Amino acid sequence: MSPHSILRVHRLRVAFDHPLGTVQAVDDVSFTLLANERLGLAGESGSGKSTLALAILRMIKPPGHIQGGEVHLDGTELSSLDQEAIRRVRLAGIALVPQGSMNSLNPVMRIQAQIADALADHGVVLSKAELAARVADLLRRVGLRAEVADLYPHELSGGMKQRACIAIAICLSPKVIIADEPTSALDVVVQRQVMETLARVQRDLGAAVILVGHDMGLMAQFVDRLGIMYAGRLVEIAPIGEIITRPRHPYTQMLISSLPSLEARGTMHGIPGLAPLLRDLPPGCAFHPRCPKADARCRTEKPAVRDLAPGQQVACHHA
Amino acid sequence: MTTLMEIRHVTKRYGGGRLSGEGMTALSDLSMTIDADRPSITAVVGESGSGKTTLARILLGLTPPTEGEVLYRGQDLTSLSGEQRRDFRRDVQAVFQDPYEVYNPFYRVDHVLNTPVNRFKLAANRAEGRELIAGSLRAVGLRPEEILGRFPHQLSGGQRQRIMVARAVLMRPRLIVADEPVSMVDASLRATILGSLRKLTDEMGISIIYITHDLATAYQVSDNILVMYRACVAEAGAVEQVVKQPQHPYTQLLISSIPKVSTTRDWLADEGDETIRAIPGHDGCRFVERCPVAMARCAGSIPPLYRTEAHRATACFQFDASPELAPAEMGQVLEGAVALPAPVKGVNQP
Repeated sequence: MSPHSILRVHRLRVAFDHPLGTVQAVDDVSFTLLANERLGLAGESGSGKSTLALAILRMIKPPGHIQGGEVHLDGTELSSLDQEAIRRVRLAGIALVPQGSMNSLNPVMRIQAQIADALADHGVVLSKAELAARVADLLRRVGLRAEVADLYPHELSGGMKQRACIAIAICLSPKVIIADEPTSALDVVVQRQVMETLARVQRDLGAAVILVGHDMGLMAQFVDRLGIMYAGRLVEIAPIGEIITRPRHPYTQMLISSLPSLEARGTMHGIPGLAPLLRDLPPGCAFHPRCPKADARCRTEKPAVRDLAPGQQVACHHA
Repeated sequence: MTTLMEIRHVTKRYGGGRLSGEGMTALSDLSMTIDADRPSITAVVGESGSGKTTLARILLGLTPPTEGEVLYRGQDLTSLSGEQRRDFRRDVQAVFQDPYEVYNPFYRVDHVLNTPVNRFKLAANRAEGRELIAGSLRAVGLRPEEILGRFPHQLSGGQRQRIMVARAVLMRPRLIVADEPVSMVDASLRATILGSLRKLTDEMGISIIYITHDLATAYQVSDNILVMYRACVAEAGAVEQVVKQPQHPYTQLLISSIPKVSTTRDWLADEGDETIRAIPGHDGCRFVERCPVAMARCAGSIPPLYRTEAHRATACFQFDASPELAPAEMGQVLEGAVALPAPVKGVNQP
């Protein structure tokens, strides 16, 4: 029996209207997320990974717009839903822990009130006692003491704030949690605690997680499968062990080998060249100017995404 | 041995006083020397609040110490003559974290390169100045024709950051203090920029203080490392040893907390691993509340730095059998590139 897929993204395209031309921020991205799975979306700045996360939740604002493609959540096609219905899906179906969310907590509201806000917004009406119990339960799930409910954000440390954001994200038991760089502002020791919290919460809920970021070490230790984004395209997706030991796409290969290790000191080498400006993409494969394997075909023909195995794809003429 | 810079028992406190209460100690009794003759890269690693940025500002003379002295070529920074001060500003250059904020958007980037050439009369004429600038850009892997004449917004963050390194290089400094020079730059570019810094040390004899929270890049590019925790030096020494065989419990915690790119998944531990104890108002080791091996005396007094090896010092009472490190010796602990002796087969190994 095949594992149950909870989220299916099919040929999603997002464009931004720029005075100098249309920018393809997300270009024909497809992937499937299984229930309980941890999927990573890695890429450098401008790769489109955060835009992809927002597009899944239909949170793209003008001058950006979703050009095409479908997003299916547990069988329901999200683009067929009206504004009110998609609003209900956000948080209850798919929860987002956005970048810098710990800085977006309302500074003049206690934590309990912010959680209550999220619940009330989705029509959950509770008595005072029920609310207190619900909040205490959520805080416990993220490893925070019940007293935190009565605190203001400025009274919490960075790690505690981020865990409070996770508590808000899970308050309606979503099926999918999308975490966009949840630990980038935190030090390594706190980062580990927050990621342990996220893992535990995910296990308790039976939810799937999409972790968006650029820290490959974090991906290696946390996700089951990893997708690599470059210039708006998903250029490779595979089980994390495969990505680390047998990356197929030249960009992935060079990215992995450019990572500074703590094992042995060697010569440091980056990937030569720069990521292309999205409004000025080269013809053919967007990576060809930096690719050691590029040939005439790469310079003219954009490689299609090919299936290598279930859940494993690559977009390269030479992979 | 010519000492370029020396910090003696420097403490830096912010705030305090009658209206604002306690105040905060950013650096506590720090001593170190930077040797002009043996160029090396020393990483200063720590989390926010560790004091590493304060150390950068003290070294650059941007902020005075609350206690202690900061000496440039044997002379206290506060008593430098006009000419000595100019020499100091040439000898010690800064590269800061944000490649976006440092540029005036109304000027082309040539401005940040022309200004020091003009100000310090680094060239005899325009042509020589142009060649000097072109050379410094090439030294950091940039092509002058792609950079000069552009405005900051026309360049990427990586290019802007490298221009700041080029600008620092122009002055032929003895020391560059780089505070998180690559944290705002994409991972694939970090290695390239850090490689440029390494070349500056190896080929041009410029010492670098590389301040960062990223232990992995610190390990790759540096010769020595200072690990800071809450205003104090926890551990210092040759980078290979400190990272591979950390002695201070904080260093051990730091290294084990870093998620590694490996197929071994041992990073997410079971719950309840973390040591936390509350010891309000204690005068002891800054790490005692989180230390898994804390002893009774740890809450009573702050451990000094013990010289545990020729190129290692650790501030932990576990090592009190070793001699205490005299401040003047920190320069020896952090010497130039240290060649590790090759392991002798059959003696220490099976």
